[in-house]
Amino acid sequence: MNAPFAHLTESLIRHRGVLGAMVVGLDDGIIVDSTLQIGVNGNAFAALTASLYRKARRSAKAAGFGHTSFLELTAEQGRVCTAGGRELVLVVVCESRVNVGLLRVELLRAAEQLP
Amino acid sequence: MANDDIRALSEELAADPASLAFVPLGEALRRRGDLEVALRVAMRGVERHPMRPDAHDLVARVSADRGDLDRAIAEWETVLQLAPTHGGARKGLGFICFQLGRLDEAAAHLGAALANDPEDGSLAAALQTVKGALDRHAEAERATVAVRRVPAEAETAAPARPEGRTAERPAPEPHATRPTIGLPVDLQRPEADAGALFDDLLEGQRSAAMLLDADGLVLAGRYVAVDGRDLAADIGAQLSGVSDEAARAMRHLGLGGWRQIVFETEAASVAMAPALDGVLLVAAARPIPLGFVRRVLERAAHRAAAWMEGTR
Repeated sequence: MNAPFAHLTESLIRHRGVLGAMVVGLDDGIIVDSTLQIGVNGNAFAALTASLYRKARRSAKAAGFGHTSFLELTAEQGRVCTAGGRELVLVVVCESRVNVGLLRVELLRAAEQLP
Repeated sequence: MANDDIRALSEELAADPASLAFVPLGEALRRRGDLEVALRVAMRGVERHPMRPDAHDLVARVSADRGDLDRAIAEWETVLQLAPTHGGARKGLGFICFQLGRLDEAAAHLGAALANDPEDGSLAAALQTVKGALDRHAEAERATVAVRRVPAEAETAAPARPEGRTAERPAPEPHATRPTIGLPVDLQRPEADAGALFDDLLEGQRSAAMLLDADGLVLAGRYVAVDGRDLAADIGAQLSGVSDEAARAMRHLGLGGWRQIVFETEAASVAMAPALDGVLLVAAARPIPLGFVRRVLERAAHRAAAWMEGTR
């Protein structure tokens, strides 16, 4: 059986600097589908990024900003970008050198296909 | 605090229900966002240790995070009965009174806290912010000119009042020259208070910038809605928790410390960065490009660092 979201994760990981792309359950942080380079701890990124996205979504809603559609976390040694639907989110783990603008557009487009 | 630490504290408390481990445990749960569990832990602690100020302080902190301001006030007042010089209670009451528009009380609490701890730069900055608001409020009351009417269509850009915040605020002020997230601005008369620290960086765009301390209290900057209300305290309190969550994630992901968080919502683009012990936050109405928001954030970080250095 083909993985249901493989076409999304495979298209995202083709970008230079992307180390992994995952479709993750928003509520539980569990990976539904993924394409990862060797050495990337997908489970940790999935759980913690989904948690951060949930927090940002709740906070933004409470602040009156409405629904959150995209989140980017920049760290000293890399980035994590997230975009999501109501049940699933796309999580992309990248190196610092990634073209964030291009990735953001692709991510938002791909997220439209998520439930 | 790591999950292992929380588990250890839970086990310690289970083994000895009279232990004081409920204080760090409740605080750790609060910081993690588990507010209901934190409240249960705190309430049990208060039942067992009703004469301990730190137990009531914990209940107050959790209540404030849950938006239960009445309970938070009651608990912090209890703390002050038990320990009249308790800085955390004074600071918390100052913050809530400011949120509720009780500016005189806010200034009194923050002033008392600062008298007890003159070295606390965040208290000095918070007091300065409250005094600035008091001055503006007095000025607005004196003014005989009518408050400038905002076009009805611009109202849509104003953020809704955060849930659970229904208290009255001071009357809208005639801030025609202040940057707002709802309106273009005229910067002919920038004000020289902490609230105006980032105004010139916003370049007249519908955006806002604010510096928050580790407790989510506003140190500098403001978030002015189209009706002139400064929502910085509300917005800051709601969004500051995101940085705590990011810091928690960073401890496990092996990417080093976090440098920036950007998220886009229906109404605004928001960028955050760690600043000193707190967080710097920039928000801009959605049509404004994300690149502008990032740029303002970077420039505001330099401004904040220089300003904090000056307040020490």
